[in-house]
Amino acid sequence: MERSSERHVDPVIEAYKKDVDRTLIRENLRRSPEERLRALMDMQRFAVELRRAGRADR
Amino acid sequence: MMPTRFPELLRALSEAGVDFVVVGGAAAVARGSVRLTQDLDVAYRRTPDNMRKLARALSTHRPYLRGAPAGLPFVLDESTLRAGLNFTLVTDLGWIDLLGEVTGGGGYDELVQHSSEMELFGSRCRVLGLDKLIEVKRAAGRPKDLEVIAELEAIREEMERGG
Repeated sequence: MERSSERHVDPVIEAYKKDVDRTLIRENLRRSPEERLRALMDMQRFAVELRRAGRADR
Repeated sequence: MMPTRFPELLRALSEAGVDFVVVGGAAAVARGSVRLTQDLDVAYRRTPDNMRKLARALSTHRPYLRGAPAGLPFVLDESTLRAGLNFTLVTDLGWIDLLGEVTGGGGYDELVQHSSEMELFGSRCRVLGLDKLIEVKRAAGRPKDLEVIAELEAIREEMERGG
């Protein structure tokens, strides 16, 4: 990885960073890459179900 | 829309011996992102042999141009890949984007140098590294990527802190 001292700091990105939920990131970093992708697939299935429920409720 | 079957897509590409690098949202998730992404983005090597393998790997999964009207005479084969560059496809395993080139990142040969190999669902896959993911997102210059870049940089900071 790049060393932090060599990095360009973008004030716009820094402003966005304040809203990043680092507790979620820390939790996620404890998982393996495969576990992270499995969690993504669970999230996709949940999104599909939410969309289905939303359509049914119209 | 169906959830993307990442294990089956990655297995299909790996078992066919395709040279590819996982990029985009799925690579970000593998690196620690918690954002929802719908498709698998892969940068593929644009050699005749590799394009032949790639087309063959996906041919049994009914690849079709995403968002195109039904009934177009689309066939994914080496000549189709050679005639184009980036393809956004729907398959019966989900959505996959085949990228001959990534803005700010170049093609497979450049990207592979910034990737590392991971064991994913029983397949060895090359996944783009965090620094390059950030660089590519910055180069894209899209307003919607600002939050993504912020998250990726936060991941990098957490990893450096030993997270």
